Amino acid sequence: MLSTFRLRSGLLALALLVSACGAGEATGDDGGTITVYSGRSEDLIGPLLEAFTAETGIEVEARFGDSAELALLIQTEGESSPADVFISQSPGALGLLAGEGRLAPLDAGLTSMVGPGFSASDGTWVGITGRIRVVVYNADLVDTADLPDSVLDLTDPAYAGRVAVAPSNGSFQDFVTAMRNELGDDATRAWLEGMARNGAPNYPKNSAIVEAVGRGEVDMGLVNHYYNLRALEADPSVASVNHFLPADDLGALVIVTGGAVLGSSESPGAAGQLLEWLLGEAAQSTFAAQTQEYPLRTGVAGPAGVPSLDGLAVDTIDYSLLGDGLTGTIELIRASGIEQ
Amino acid sequence: MSAVPDADAPRLGVGPGTVVVVIGLVFLSPFVYVLWRNVDLGADVGEIIWDANTLHPLRRSLSLASTVALSSVVVGTGLAWLTIRTDLPGRRIWRVLAPLPLVFPSFVGATALLAGFASGGLVEELLGPLGIDTLPSVRGYRGAWLVLTLFTYPYVYLPVAARLSALPPSLEESARILGRSPWSVFRTVVLPQTSPAIWAGALLVFLYAVSDFGAVALLGYDTLTEQIYADRLFNQPRAMGLSLVLGCVALVVVMMERSLDRRRQQIEVSRARASLLVGLGRWKPVAWITVASFFVAALIGPVAVLGFWTWRGLTADVETVGLSTDLGALTGPIVNSAQAGLLTAAVAVAVVLPVAWAAARHRSRLAGAANAMVVAGFALPGVVIALSLVFWAIDTPLISAWYQTLPLLVVAYVLHFGAQATRAARVAVDATPRRMSDVAATLGASRTRRFFSVELPLMLPGLLAGAGLVMLSTMKELPATLLLAPIGFDTLATEIWNAGDAGALAQSSLASLVLVALSAVLTWAVVLRRIDNY
Repeated sequence: MLSTFRLRSGLLALALLVSACGAGEATGDDGGTITVYSGRSEDLIGPLLEAFTAETGIEVEARFGDSAELALLIQTEGESSPADVFISQSPGALGLLAGEGRLAPLDAGLTSMVGPGFSASDGTWVGITGRIRVVVYNADLVDTADLPDSVLDLTDPAYAGRVAVAPSNGSFQDFVTAMRNELGDDATRAWLEGMARNGAPNYPKNSAIVEAVGRGEVDMGLVNHYYNLRALEADPSVASVNHFLPADDLGALVIVTGGAVLGSSESPGAAGQLLEWLLGEAAQSTFAAQTQEYPLRTGVAGPAGVPSLDGLAVDTIDYSLLGDGLTGTIELIRASGIEQ
Repeated sequence: MSAVPDADAPRLGVGPGTVVVVIGLVFLSPFVYVLWRNVDLGADVGEIIWDANTLHPLRRSLSLASTVALSSVVVGTGLAWLTIRTDLPGRRIWRVLAPLPLVFPSFVGATALLAGFASGGLVEELLGPLGIDTLPSVRGYRGAWLVLTLFTYPYVYLPVAARLSALPPSLEESARILGRSPWSVFRTVVLPQTSPAIWAGALLVFLYAVSDFGAVALLGYDTLTEQIYADRLFNQPRAMGLSLVLGCVALVVVMMERSLDRRRQQIEVSRARASLLVGLGRWKPVAWITVASFFVAALIGPVAVLGFWTWRGLTADVETVGLSTDLGALTGPIVNSAQAGLLTAAVAVAVVLPVAWAAARHRSRLAGAANAMVVAGFALPGVVIALSLVFWAIDTPLISAWYQTLPLLVVAYVLHFGAQATRAARVAVDATPRRMSDVAATLGASRTRRFFSVELPLMLPGLLAGAGLVMLSTMKELPATLLLAPIGFDTLATEIWNAGDAGALAQSSLASLVLVALSAVLTWAVVLRRIDNY
């Protein structure tokens, strides 16, 4: 028994080792190859990257992951990083890398394709698509008359225990940073402490909030708009509904998904081409139609069923201007006691 | 008795000693990285620790880990005894099912539990007609404890089951003949002989519970890992400081466990006869119902929830890109997950065996230290281990060619999960009799031949149990895979995450089900089939 076991395991081990050594080899490069680290998941942006390759012949090797962890990876890799392009779901991660001098300034032609305020002021990154913050609520449990007209109303005792938040989620942190920028640290602290006093239930992610609202575990929650659109597609009878706040309210913040070219990239030309293609009319229309995100290219129509982009508050804080940037935001969130 | 008293232990030779030192240093590298980052970032560790925002989550982490370890020991040992040593009906099937809850990534298990048992969930809908309106809340401490126990008891079950199936029946038979009741036999004969396996499993459960993030975050219980996660990018001094705290907690716990382990004399394993079965008699129905309802909660429940979501996705008419439910897209990830799991399991056992051998047979302090490093690595977050490998590999002359290749990813897995193999290896080595090897030596067999034909077959059940644990953990690992895998190397775990992140719940559930099925098949083929008397 043992000798056949040894023989079989030996062969298996050999096979695994041989295939393991082969697994890392690069594929052929006809039009060049660029490496993309994308915080946007494969299902959402993968098809577009493939279309880019089909059109330009430039191969794209994409690593998909969490935006913050990919930024950490780029940071740790340093100048030897294989990445050419970084796409982040949160401007915060882009701002951090820009602050460390890792991002190459983009062509003015590229950044001018989007509206003012949708790219970094120093031109290190450009917004590609946007998601808008909403209040998702359970239609069976909440009367539409009870819905807030402003995100600042949510500290009212009438909303005690009824509004879920995700304090560790990037979009929430970006929202608080925008509030600090617009209203100042003191007003932001007061709002966070008010939410903490109201006992806002905590969840780790937007999708968890939407799922809980759908089940009726919590009445309302602060999330990004397209989660509920996905939930409705999966189950049209779900009770959760998006409530869009008025355009001039800070609560109707547009969170920007941005792209940047790394300074350490060996193919900056091809990398810039990818960003330009993603801002092209074809790609931008696809974003609106397929993934229900706001295309940020001026002149391209937004997705159906959501307010237009004009006049909405925008999250394009120059994080270096805020000094300690998101570190300060996270400390403010923690000190407020909102994370129970 | 075959354990080696300290005074008789042969000294560790220079060759084997060097091997042990090198292995220990490799496992030390993530800790060195964390230390270096703390220094580099100027983290004031004292200030970080003595802060309510750290102490409260730390206390919560420790108390949760302790209670989960306790309940896992009770559940794992009880199940192992019921399925191996009694005449429980259907026990052969239960033995195959018992390790399976380990295959659920904790966030998948927690999501399924929430969807099933939380307010407004599926169970409430089912029970609604019966008049049961609301279930007790599963969020917070209670839910975290439940989910972690249900999905980590296999860490105790597998080593204990392997040990129970290998114990010779002679001592128990003698005790029964002398008039002891089955319960008394269990308490005074079986339990002491399985206690190293139980402690080994409890240690793994504790370290896992301390380091878990997915389940506790979803259930709203704020532990130390939650703090590290929130700070990981924008407050790196604090994140690294807290990682150092986690590493130290792990080292302290490992050393405590080692000091308890010192003087245990172990009955050697025997493959001569089948084990003694205890008749359950009138307790049979109760035992069967308990075991069955347990598996409904730990295995069948989550699978049913995932199946429901998958079915809903398959029967829905979906237009949006990324929401389609597609089994064909999973064939690549299936192969990759299996490949990664099997490779890592083999490498992990091969790497920890010398350390376990040196620690057990030669009583080497060096090996003991290396062993502690191996085990403590289990508590470090996967991201930290991945980043430490990036740090060490990216600019180092010979190693950088392996950056973002499968071998380096396997190294990351081994660093993270080696602990699971090392405890099982230690238990297996401790229980292998020396006298057979000595007899073979007098008959002229060389050291290598003695190892492969005498000692390895006897250690195999324990080693395979450890290999099985490593394989299951590797197949569901996520953070290190996302950062270190070769580009295009998708595993089932990354598919689950990708689909979930895009809101494609059905595809995510389908991938989870496929992971469960693959894990079950591999566990049976690699581990269960080869454990004698299983």
